Amino acid sequence: MHVPDGVLPFWVYILFLVTSLPILGFAIRNVNKRFDDRLTPYMGVLAAVIFAAQFVNFPVPPASGHLVGTTLLAVMLGPWAAMVIIALVLFVQALYGDGGFFAFGLNFFNMGFLGAILGWGISLILFRALREFWSEQISVLAAASIAAFITTVTSAFVLGLELLTIPGLSFEFVFIITGIHAFIGVGESILTFVILLYFVKAAPKMIAFLKDSDTGRALRMAEAATPTQTIEGDI
Amino acid sequence: MDRNTVLKVIIPTIIVLFAIVSFLILTGLASENPDGFEWSLFEWAGISEPEGGFGGVFSFLGEGPIVDVITGGIGIVAILIIAYLFFKIMSRKSE
Repeated sequence: MHVPDGVLPFWVYILFLVTSLPILGFAIRNVNKRFDDRLTPYMGVLAAVIFAAQFVNFPVPPASGHLVGTTLLAVMLGPWAAMVIIALVLFVQALYGDGGFFAFGLNFFNMGFLGAILGWGISLILFRALREFWSEQISVLAAASIAAFITTVTSAFVLGLELLTIPGLSFEFVFIITGIHAFIGVGESILTFVILLYFVKAAPKMIAFLKDSDTGRALRMAEAATPTQTIEGDI
Repeated sequence: MDRNTVLKVIIPTIIVLFAIVSFLILTGLASENPDGFEWSLFEWAGISEPEGGFGGVFSFLGEGPIVDVITGGIGIVAILIIAYLFFKIMSRKSE
């Protein structure tokens, strides 16, 4: 889903840069308010995990896809930290020539902003419904996997609409890119499940949706405007 | 960052991720730059790849699986350090 430079009209890149940078600034401000610096090593680790996970390419003829990971991050850290991590990953990838610099705003909007807000929102709604019937662990796995699929397909549809600004591109392309992402979404869903399963087993404190998690506490803390609590234990 | 965190989390993560990425690149499973998905779809839609685009900071090293393994490893360490420093600066100081 990484759009390179020089494909869309220049004004589209500028429009999305102007739109995305304030959103990113808002996300950074929220991270500043909600997270304390004891969680920073895990932010670094998760950024590296997402960067590495995006190397995994699975074939979806005539194209191929890879994990984006925004829903996974949103479930673990909340939408704002997820946006910031995706922004950092996109920046490093742009340095590598994967996704353009001018396209950073557009790529961030699709994968960072939309991915985090939709992924987090859908996951949260599903999680609250499912935990009435299943355990929290099973509910978060199911909710995140379903949300990852829906988010991938929706983001692809939005990307298709953005690509319509290329002169001569027909609306049929929107359906094709969305259709291909339905298959990529299955891959995203499976990878989200597998990676999240690892964290559910090994480090449940890192999953914001689960009770007593460090990240969940960090997210709730600012909302409740309570003093900083000591983070107990380790992952 | 305390020593325990480095030993228990950071170093094992780097080693495991480097091993996975190396395996993926050497077995041809890793995504290309720019990754295959965009270009195959763009080409299908009749949009050709723009000439003379930015090839990445490591383009001077050329291409090949070994170069990809090295640059992939550098990328993993780089993003880990960048994200750590970024969140260290941007997050609230612990009380």
